[in-house]
Amino acid sequence: MANAKDALLDPLFNNNPIALQILGICSALAVTNKMSTALTMSIAVILVIACSNAAVSAIRNHIPNSVRIIVQMTIIATLVIIVDQMLKAYAYEMSKQLSVYVGLIITNCIVMGRAEAYAMKNPVYESFLDGIGNGLGYSLILLIVAFIRELFGSGSFFGLTILNPVNNDGWYVTNGLMLLAPSAFFLIGFIIWALRTWKPELQE
Amino acid sequence: MSNDSILKTFLVVFLLCIVCSVLVCLAALVRIDREAYNQLLETRSTVLAAGGYDEELAAGASADELFANFEMKILNVDTGEIATDINAEEFNPKAAMDNPDMVVAIPPAYDIANLKQRPKFVRIFVDKSKGQVVLPIYGPGMWGVMYAYLGVANDGTTINGLKFYQHSETPGLGAEIERPRFQNQWVGKKLYSNSGNLAIKVVKNGRFDPNAADAPYTIDGLAGATVTGDKVQDMVQYWFSDNGYGKFLANYSKSKE
Repeated sequence: MANAKDALLDPLFNNNPIALQILGICSALAVTNKMSTALTMSIAVILVIACSNAAVSAIRNHIPNSVRIIVQMTIIATLVIIVDQMLKAYAYEMSKQLSVYVGLIITNCIVMGRAEAYAMKNPVYESFLDGIGNGLGYSLILLIVAFIRELFGSGSFFGLTILNPVNNDGWYVTNGLMLLAPSAFFLIGFIIWALRTWKPELQE
Repeated sequence: MSNDSILKTFLVVFLLCIVCSVLVCLAALVRIDREAYNQLLETRSTVLAAGGYDEELAAGASADELFANFEMKILNVDTGEIATDINAEEFNPKAAMDNPDMVVAIPPAYDIANLKQRPKFVRIFVDKSKGQVVLPIYGPGMWGVMYAYLGVANDGTTINGLKFYQHSETPGLGAEIERPRFQNQWVGKKLYSNSGNLAIKVVKNGRFDPNAADAPYTIDGLAGATVTGDKVQDMVQYWFSDNGYGKFLANYSKSKE
């Protein structure tokens, strides 16, 4: 079914939530100084968007129009709390590093945006795939940014030393900017530039 | 029934709330169940690192067995004596920090780390195999509170290790306090000079002279993190002053002689 395939793959490049819709920037800045945190955050967001899209879509014909935003919000918040509590229970160290940013998925505009723009109008299966697709689109950018930031900021990849930093008596002078949030702004800017050069039809 | 009727609106919202709150409760129950275990694991690995067991752990020794040598005790910081009437297993260090009845104000003259107050009782770890004691310390850093454990040998002055387990210093600069390169410097350094005065200090990066008379008490700071270095120094100096663990360590080293 072409519709389902589009729902899954479109958000990767053609309608990427970060690079094209410019949503979810806050967490993309905050959790991308290491691959491990970016990967955990990616998985959390994919789960939340996919499940919230499916849940909203499943009850879309019963949601009263006057309270639809609050209903979507409640579903999203519930899912985020569950993910957050599970991380605290089974990945304690990781949840400490991600600190408040897992909880802040609630306010991630991508999740809300997909519920309102897609799941309210489409069947459960397509909505679920749309959620996974948008989650993957978000994850793709997050992982690219985290790869560059961790490699040049700490000289490592998933914590494994690739470029031995001077702080560890090595030779690589780490780039301090890469460890700070603003570097993600520059990187996302470059990614947007590259994407729109590759696909000129995305230019506004 | 129309979707937008008042009855339907209330019904949908009500049912949704019930379902969501049940799910949230279940998730919280799972988390609460695992919380104590997670905190124990964290405390255990921090205490072992502060006690200088990094090599044994790297060589594959079991953390459980190494930690079995440690005995938790509650220390009355004011008197420097072990409080035997408090059950160490049930003692909650975080709660003791927040409970107004359990804290004392620090006289301004002593308050070099700017803590304002500290708990009356702290949980310490006595290591029977190495004859050392691992003490909790904390203090404000550049951006937030830094928490650490510091292991002191039974002479009451030699540091066996310092391990930070929570802080919010600048990544790449102050946050290097959690790296082995900074923490390993503390091993073997002395808190007090031969005459018994508090002497430990952190100097600006590159000012450390291994041949100077004060080298056994001096830690080389981190490049680009002078403020963090100063705050670490203030915090260690406060906690090992007479208002901190000074009395306890004096008793402790005497009792071993």
